[in-house]
Amino acid sequence: MKIFDKIKTDPYYKVWLKDAWPYVTGAILLSVFQIVSLASAGTPWGVSGTLADWGAWLYQLVGGSVDKWYYFASDAAQAKLAAGPLKDPGTFRNLGLIAGALFAALIASGFKFKKIKTWRQVAAAVLGGLLMGYGARIAFGCNIGALFSGIASMSLSGWVYAVFLFLGAIVGSKLLVKYFM
Amino acid sequence: MSKEVELDCLGEACPVPLIKAEKALEGMDVGDVLICQIDHSCAMKNVPEWAREQGHNVEVEEVDDGEWEVIIEKVK
Repeated sequence: MKIFDKIKTDPYYKVWLKDAWPYVTGAILLSVFQIVSLASAGTPWGVSGTLADWGAWLYQLVGGSVDKWYYFASDAAQAKLAAGPLKDPGTFRNLGLIAGALFAALIASGFKFKKIKTWRQVAAAVLGGLLMGYGARIAFGCNIGALFSGIASMSLSGWVYAVFLFLGAIVGSKLLVKYFM
Repeated sequence: MSKEVELDCLGEACPVPLIKAEKALEGMDVGDVLICQIDHSCAMKNVPEWAREQGHNVEVEEVDDGEWEVIIEKVK
């Protein structure tokens, strides 16, 4: 269609929607919106905690119970689970994250179904996901909840997290070069 | 005679394309051209950035939706 050819060559489309934004722009927007999120939801921005709640709700859906689980033992956690996903700000934040990322990729015409190259990739992704999920839960936060929101809340734990994140990244890159290159 | 090398990084996530490109370029001569095929948008940022920093000539071509070729001419 003609209109798409016109949009494609438009310089504003290129700068705003097509090309990646500079890191500084991203940093400023993330900071502003985490403040908005904290003010509106009352809790600091986190991602992986909600994934654990989703897991609990799914488990309850098939008849399971997490009442006795240490992780969900607090009154606050029980109240949150009882209220359900529709009353959970984190659920909407995560859904918004997925929808926003999809929208950004689509509007930049950068969406693609990628082929799985090797089964080693699949194994690494599953193993990495499990380790990240487990690590994030015993650390009470991922790089968003514990690092980003932690540092933004003037918490020392955020900085401790940063140091060990860096050390972990060094070990991770060594393993990556060894097994994937 | 300069040669052209194609590097298939399709389906690879960061930082694999960058490390592969670094390794491939190391073994090439001045004037040779490396064509990195990429379908990971963040590699689309760091591969050209690294190559330009090294002083090579870089061109990015959009081949398809979410698929690019980063063309690097080794200059030194």
